[in-house]
Amino acid sequence: MGFSINAGLLDAMVLSIVQNSDTYGYEITQYLRKAVDISESTLYPVLRRLQKGELLETYDKEFMGRNRRYYRITPKGNDSLEEYREEWRSHKKKIDSILLNEGAENHEQT
Amino acid sequence: MNKLEFLTRLRNALERGGLPSEDINDALSYYEEVFLDAGFGKEEETAASMGSPEAVAANILRESGINPPVPAMQRRGAVPPPQPQQKKKSSGGAIALSIILGIITFPIWLPILIIVVTFLFVAIVLLISLVIGFIGLAVGLLFGGVAALIHVPSVGLMMLGAGLFMTGIVILICRPAFSAAIPACGRGIKRFCSWLAGLFKKGGKENA
Repeated sequence: MGFSINAGLLDAMVLSIVQNSDTYGYEITQYLRKAVDISESTLYPVLRRLQKGELLETYDKEFMGRNRRYYRITPKGNDSLEEYREEWRSHKKKIDSILLNEGAENHEQT
Repeated sequence: MNKLEFLTRLRNALERGGLPSEDINDALSYYEEVFLDAGFGKEEETAASMGSPEAVAANILRESGINPPVPAMQRRGAVPPPQPQQKKKSSGGAIALSIILGIITFPIWLPILIIVVTFLFVAIVLLISLVIGFIGLAVGLLFGGVAALIHVPSVGLMMLGAGLFMTGIVILICRPAFSAAIPACGRGIKRFCSWLAGLFKKGGKENA
């Protein structure tokens, strides 16, 4: 698809994925690929940023004889995600009102 | 590119960028994990999907606030001012080139010029000679008619009539032909000359 995903949206999506359950980098990418065309090299800086901002924290878990780095959302991350979600709802509504002609009069359709 | 090569190149690029070793190790362990999670048989594919290690490194460095590629870009950005000068130089070269081309193509355009001038000259001469021929015919017929009128009046009348007819034609032709054709030729030559001059002027302006 031709719609670009900006950094904020990517941060929000990663936070949401990690909030559902603690997970690791490769799996996060696989999740994101359902919606957007990104590679691991796109995700790493995002994870790093979220980690440095203390929205995510990591812990290592043993998997098949090696350590796998898992990501867990922090309380700060949860707050941030709620903000993102609120922002997304209003953003989506505004976009839909134009793109899908979803004005106030046919609001019951949505 | 296999996993080892990718990770080695990534490490080198990150070290060159001056990323703290702690961050380098974090990035490398992440990418190593990606390779392991993607599966052992998919090393090449995984490496290809991530692009060049140097580009990945540049991304990480940018995110870390270390921007080694940016100064290079700025340096590149600072380069453009000299470029117009280079263009001017090349346009100077273009003028020289057009002059050289003009000289080299001399054997081509000179015959064409000669042909055009000759054609114009022939057309003018043809017109003038045609008119002169008509005038001569008319004068001859008129004089011959007057002379024949005495001996054979009917032939003389016919010749006089024909002479008057020819005179009329000559006058009809000459008036518009000379009053229009000669200035037209003059204007044509003038226009051709100014067009030629304009070509050179325009060429000069475009190159300036």
